[in-house]
Parts: sequence; structure tokens; C-alpha cells
Amino acid sequence: MTDTSTRPPLLHRVSTYLHQRPRLRLLLMIGLPAIWLVGVYGGSLLALLVQSFFRLNPFSGVLERVISLDTWNTLFTGANTAVMIRTVSMAAVVTVACVVLAFPLAYFMARYAHKKTKTILVLAVLIPLWSSYLVRVYSWKLILAADGIINWFVERLGMEAALEAFLNVPGIGGPSLSISLFGQFLVFVYIWLPFMILPIHASLERVPGSLLEASADLGAQPALTFRKVTWPMAIPGVAAGSIFTFSLTLGDYIIPTIIGDSSPFIGLAIYSYQGVAGNLPLAAAFSFVPIAVMAVYLTVARKFGAFEAL
Amino acid sequence: MRKKAGLGLKIAAGFTLAYLHIPILFVFLYAFTTEEATFKFPPPGYTTDWFGVAWQNSAIRSAVSLSMRVALVSTLIALVLGTLAAAAVWRSKFFGRNAFSLFVILPIALPGIITGIALRSAINLGDLKFSFWTLVIGHATFCVAVAFNNVIARMRRTSPWLMEASMDLGARGWQTFRHVLLPQLAPAMVVGGMLAFALSFDEIIVTTFTAGNQQTLPIWIFSSLVRPRSRPVTNVVAVFVILITFIPIVLAHRFAQRAEES
Amino acid sequence: MRARAVLLLTALAVLATACTGTAEEATTTLPTEVGDGEGKVVIVAWAGYIERGDYDPAFDWVTEFEADTGCLVEHKIAGTSDEMVALMTGSEEYDLVTASGDASLRLVAGGSVQEINIDLIESWDTVDPRLQDAEWHTVDGKHYGVPYTSGFNVLGFNSEIFGDTPPDSWSVVFEETTFPDGASNQGRIQAYDGPIYIADAALYLKSTNPELGIEDPYQLNEEQYQAALDLLRIQRTLVGRYWHDAYIQMDDFKNEGVAASSTWPFQTGILASEGFPIDKVVPKEGATGWADTTMMNSKAPHPNCAYMWMEHSLNPKLQGDLAYFFGTVPAVLAACEGNEFLGPDGCAYNGSEQFDEILFWKTPTDDCNGTADPGTCVPYYRWVTDYLAVIGGR
Repeated sequence: MTDTSTRPPLLHRVSTYLHQRPRLRLLLMIGLPAIWLVGVYGGSLLALLVQSFFRLNPFSGVLERVISLDTWNTLFTGANTAVMIRTVSMAAVVTVACVVLAFPLAYFMARYAHKKTKTILVLAVLIPLWSSYLVRVYSWKLILAADGIINWFVERLGMEAALEAFLNVPGIGGPSLSISLFGQFLVFVYIWLPFMILPIHASLERVPGSLLEASADLGAQPALTFRKVTWPMAIPGVAAGSIFTFSLTLGDYIIPTIIGDSSPFIGLAIYSYQGVAGNLPLAAAFSFVPIAVMAVYLTVARKFGAFEAL
Repeated sequence: MRKKAGLGLKIAAGFTLAYLHIPILFVFLYAFTTEEATFKFPPPGYTTDWFGVAWQNSAIRSAVSLSMRVALVSTLIALVLGTLAAAAVWRSKFFGRNAFSLFVILPIALPGIITGIALRSAINLGDLKFSFWTLVIGHATFCVAVAFNNVIARMRRTSPWLMEASMDLGARGWQTFRHVLLPQLAPAMVVGGMLAFALSFDEIIVTTFTAGNQQTLPIWIFSSLVRPRSRPVTNVVAVFVILITFIPIVLAHRFAQRAEES
Repeated sequence: MRARAVLLLTALAVLATACTGTAEEATTTLPTEVGDGEGKVVIVAWAGYIERGDYDPAFDWVTEFEADTGCLVEHKIAGTSDEMVALMTGSEEYDLVTASGDASLRLVAGGSVQEINIDLIESWDTVDPRLQDAEWHTVDGKHYGVPYTSGFNVLGFNSEIFGDTPPDSWSVVFEETTFPDGASNQGRIQAYDGPIYIADAALYLKSTNPELGIEDPYQLNEEQYQAALDLLRIQRTLVGRYWHDAYIQMDDFKNEGVAASSTWPFQTGILASEGFPIDKVVPKEGATGWADTTMMNSKAPHPNCAYMWMEHSLNPKLQGDLAYFFGTVPAVLAACEGNEFLGPDGCAYNGSEQFDEILFWKTPTDDCNGTADPGTCVPYYRWVTDYLAVIGGR
């Protein structure tokens, strides 16, 4: 702190002034982010909400600027609720799978990896985030295709019958992995996995090794230590990661057009209503489905300490 | 002393790692295929021609440059706003504090398409023209959340007594910030900045709604994937991006780690 | 704020009117000469429509134009017709758009594009006479654009699977059937995922179910429309995946065992050139198609350069290269001769002889494109909603 004398005195005066006036300091700190997020972003969301109360004339398709609930009624017709149920179920399953896959790696990184290994592993989790999402999704197309990479290996291992049997499972199967719901699930999990690993790893890092040792010293079996110590400490990370995996699956409209059987998802429906149909009210109303789902989700996640672990 | 990890854990962790990386290996592989339009496995032949094609393509260069600039500016804005917001939430209690912290993370907690549509309708409403800055607004909005999360997590682990002590020892607010708080926060800001940069650099959905006719790298890739004779070039670009970003990530991570330790 | 909101609402109203086909009065007067270039022209186009040799130096129809006119070409790629309409609505940024028939009339009706003076397009007379007054760009005798290129939605099929008995009817993609290789078509056919595909179903019903009285597959009354949807619901049970972009479909032919699908000559041409056993046919029921028109923004910031580009867009070299590049039929038939890429049969392969069997895309409107009372036909916005529901299995 030898350079204090070279600091412009003005800075001193300002900082002292602010230090004595915490309200003003708070206002200055919060002002810009608040204008940006509450004003611009919140305002945009509100504008979107308003538009969902307009409607299209049922005969001509002309937009009518009258406040009505017609659009919201259309929203809850069978075809649209089917889209919602499909999307939310997929998001839930993807989230669970991400937790299951992310946990061992995050646990290994936090608990066993030495410094150098840990650095390498963190980078290995980050790298996929840096390589193009689109190119990676397209590469899955070839991996899962009927004459694709997985199949190439399956044929060489002589396991065609097993794959065939799997694809015949109603609901998740299909003509090939890339046209099945299961294939779509694999790609969703793959793409969002790093978003789950990182927060779980971060929250496990905060579990002191001594705590686990204490638990073991007191005679707890590893399974019990996991259930009573490790898992509770990891829950905020899991909750935080699941916010990402859940919300990203809810809104994605690119993966369902490339992998799967073309069944529409919420993101795709919004995109089509907005862009293709020119039906902005319906797109706006549909947008509030993921908003509502996420509102519930965030409320629950907050209870589990997700906000402290994001 | 740490025990060795069990075999089951090693296998499970290895499986996840493989799952994350095998597709990227195939992205690498197909940067060398001799096919132009459709891919087959295994590739019928190998060539390095696509690297030359990519190198000579000026559209790629300008797209990379635009994406870099957008990501850089958005990250800087996000770091400033995110750190301010984190400081406000951390140090003070005020009316609407919970609502405010919810608003900060909303842009990443809501799907990108919502953010995109909402911002586009706001851009129309404000009669703005699509420009570099509409892109930055879109990206900074979700980057703020990332910066905020990292910084506030670090703040929660910073003892408030440290600052009190600094003040008691006669340091002024600015000095405390510069010499005590900032070094504490730097690693979190670097990590948050890296994540924010990565998210912005590869973002396609919000970008689609705020770009107008500007081509960021993901938009270029999206249009090239549906365009004759450029499919392997997209793989080359993906490989190239991994390679050029690898070194900065390693350096940033090293820095964060060292700062964490000291 | 209030004024802004009103502005936005007006814009939305214009967009919406666009879907209904109530034409607005053109307010601009026609230019009588092309002045000096403004140094720039901005074009909204399909991917691959404006090539400057980035990928393959052989395909460059921009560089020379820029050198000759001093107008630098910028372009924005649009992925769908609807994106084109959205981009052009109220835009003061773009000069031209290569609009397909399912967008062009919406653009005209919405006042987004202006009438052009064909006397200023020197090469207008070289345009295929079948396209000169086509209804997707000519309204009340006024021309709203210059034809660019056109293509057909043909039936593509794996020639190894079909062998000596190539299909000649769309029934192979609409009804459950056994293919010559002994297996069912279930899971081995595809359909286009755009709502405009409802017209393909209507076209098929036009021959197979004459009692419905379908005349124009783009003008369907409620009963005809429901019949088409029913057919598409059956198709849903047979289709593995709907195709959305041409490259993914080529992958699917190659890697997914797709045996038959509606497709473009673009895909079959590229696959054939890779030695893949594929062929295509215009089935006996006819086919739908798309004809693209270069249209000019009513608020074009660079009108002179825009006129220069429209003239340039008709030059036979560009037309021929584009037709080869995209598997389309050029708007200028002279382009079919002597093009190094197309070869002597290129235009015929792409379908130049079969023009009369093709029904080109039009936007469905509730007044049946102005031929009936409002409310008679099912408008396009419902096509979108219902087709999405059909794909979702409803």
C-alpha cells in the first residue's frame, strides 16, 4: 500500500463519502444492474405477456388488438398440452440422468483427483462448452444413424439382435436410434451435462475432507456417509445444475429438429408460432408455459439452496 | 491422507468423461473426410484440404472476429454489472433483495428462446436497429447471471472481518476494495468471465433473435450446415475453435488456481 | 411509450393483414430510369443463392457484379419463407428478397415490396414466358419482382430397393404398403415438415378422392382441409422423421435406410453424383413446387443498385450455375444451353419439361386467393397450428 499517495485525492473523497452513506452506495451499486435486468429484461417479458392477450381473428387470421382470453384457450387444447407434457417429461428425465452421470465425475474430481489431474478434468469438462454446440449436435446424427457409428460397432460385435429388441420397445424406440426418443434423450443429456458437473463439483469442493473422515471414524459405512453427509452437502449443487438442464431442455428448438421423430417440443412450438404462423399472441402465451414451469422449479430449487450454489 | 478412489467410481467417472469427449473425437475425424455433403462411417478417405478452404474463407474470419468482439464486450459488461449486483446483495439488506437476486439469474434460468423473443419484441418496440449493440445487450443479459453467481459465491466465502480489519487499520473504502476485496474476488471473476465468454461465443438461440443480418460464428455454422460443399468446413472450424481457445482457458484456470491458493 | 406501442401494434396488424391477402394501395411511383449506384445492395436470400466463391471459386456470381457496378453485395440468409416475411416487414435495411411463392403474395399484400418497372430490366424478355406473369408475383397486372429460379417437390426413392418397379404415385408415402424388397414402408418414408406440405396431401386427394372436389390444393374448404389432415395423420404413423433441411435428408437417405420421400432434385442430384442408388419422379398425381422471385423492398435504401442486381440476376451464366448448384430450373431458359456445370441435360433432369404438372406454392388465404368470399378457405395460420399438431401425433 505504498502507492496511496499517488491516488487522486478525489477518489479518496468519493470513497469516504460513499462509505458514510450506505444508502447512496447501495443505490449506485444496484442502479445499473437493476435498470438492465429489471427495466430492460423484465420490461421485455411484460411486453410479451401483454401480447398474449391479443388474438387472431379465427376466420381471417388477422391480429385483433382486443384484450381476450381466446389465445389462452387455444393454448390449452389437446395438441398443445401434449407438447407441454412431452417437453416437461423429457426435461425431467434428462435432469435426472444428468445428475446420475455428473455425480461420480464431480465426486472424483472433488475428492480424489490431485491438483494436476483436477485441472485437467475441469478443463475436460469445459472444452465441450467451447466447441460448437451445433457441430456437436450434428455429429450425434451420424453416431446414432441406422448405418451410423454405433451401429457399425454393434454389427462388429454381433449384437444386432439386442439393438433391434431395444428399438422395438414402444415409446422410446423407433426405426433407428437417431429417430427414437431415446436417441434424443442421449443428445440432450450429452449437451447439458457440463452444466450439471460444474455446480456439483463446486459444492462438493466445499465439503471438508475432515467431515467425511469424522463420519468414517465414528463408524459410518461409506453408504451411510454418502447418504447423511456427502449428498446433503451436494444438494445445492444438484439443484443449481438442474435449473440449467431443466430450463435448457424446455427451450431448445434445434435438437428436436435434428434428432428424434420430429414430435414438437415447447421451444419448437414457440418458434413456429412466432416465425412461421405470424401468430405472435399464441407464441407469447406459449412462452409463459416454460416461465411458469421454471417459476415453480426455482421456488423449489431455492428451498434446496440452489441459489447459493449456482 | 486421501484414500484411493474405488474402481466403481473410477469407471463411472470415466464413462461420463468418455461420453463427453467421444463425439468431439468424431468432430475431429470428420474435419479430415473426403466427403463434401453427406457423411458416412467410416469416412471413405482422408484429406487436409478443408483446412485450406476454411483458411481462405473470409466469411469465417469475419464471423470469428464478430463473435470474439461480442463475447468480449458482453463479458466485460457482465463482470461489471454482475460484480456490482453481487456486492449489493452481499453487503446490504434492502427491500426487494430476494426479488432482485431472482431477476439476476432469470436470464439463464429461463430458456433462451424466451429471452430472445422478449428482447426482440423490445427491440421492435424501441424502434432500434439491429446492430453490434443489440447482440451485446442480448448476450450480456445472460452473461450477467454467470458473473454474478461466481462472484457472489466467492463473496460468501470471504470473511467480512477482513474488510472490517482493513478499515480499522485505516484503509479507505477504495483501498480496501483495491487491495483486499479485489484480490479475493479476482479468481471468481476470471472463472465467471471465462464461462460467460464461452456461453456468449457459442450462443445461437438468443443470437438468432437479436442479430439482424450480422453473422456470428454460430450463425455462420448454422447456415453452413445447410449449404452445399461446406459441411466438413464446419468441423474444421469447430476443431480450430477448440485449439485456439485451449491455451487461454489453461492460462486463466492456472491463474485462478494460483490466486485461490495464495 | 404509448406512441411506440401503437407503432408496434400497427406493424403487427400489417404483418397479420399480410396473411389474409387484402392488398394495400401501392404508394410509390415507378422509377423511370436506373440512376447511379448507391455503392451497396443488401439481399435477403436462401442459403446458397448469393455465392461469391467463398466455398468453391467456380461458383461466384457476385464478384464480377461488384466490379462492374460498384455495388457491394451484402446478404442475410433466411431459413424459412416466414423468416423472410418477418425480416422484410417494415425493414429499411434490406433492398431485395428471394421470396418463394408462399411468401411473395404476403409480402405484396403487406406492402413490404414495391412494384417494379420491368422496362428497366433489359433482360426481362429472356425470362421463361411461363413465369413472366406468374400469379405469385403479378397482382392486378403489376409486377412485383423478377423470377429467379424454381424447383419441384419430387418423389425421391432408393432405386436399389425399388429395382425394376419404380413408384409412380405418391401413395408410397401416404398409405401403408409393402415395398418391392418385401418390407413395409413404415419407418422408411419421410415427409416435409413445413405446413405447406398439407397441399401435397390435398394434391394426392385431388386424384384419389375426386368426390372432395379439390381444385387447387392451396385453396381448401373446411371439409377438404380436414380430409387432407386425416390423410396426414395416417402418414404420421408411417413416417420416421419429417425432413427439414436438405442435408439432413441426404444423410437420412444414406444412413437411415429411407426408401422414399418427397424431396428436391437438389438432394437426389448430389446423392446420385456420390454414386448413391437414388432416382426421382414426378408422380402421376403431379407435384407441388416453389418458384422464387427477387422482390424489392418498398423502402429499399439502395434502389438503383437493387435494379442493377435484378438485371444481373437474369444473366444466363448466373442462372445456369445457380440451377446446377441448387437443382432448380432457371428462370431464363437460355441458361440451359452451354453451361459447363449443367451439361446438355441438366435442365431436363431438374424438370424444365415438366412445368405444366407442377402446382407452385401460394399462401393459402381465407378468401381463396381472392376467388371467393372471405371465410371460404382455410387460412395459412391454421395450416401451421394443425400441421404441428399432426406431427405431434394429434
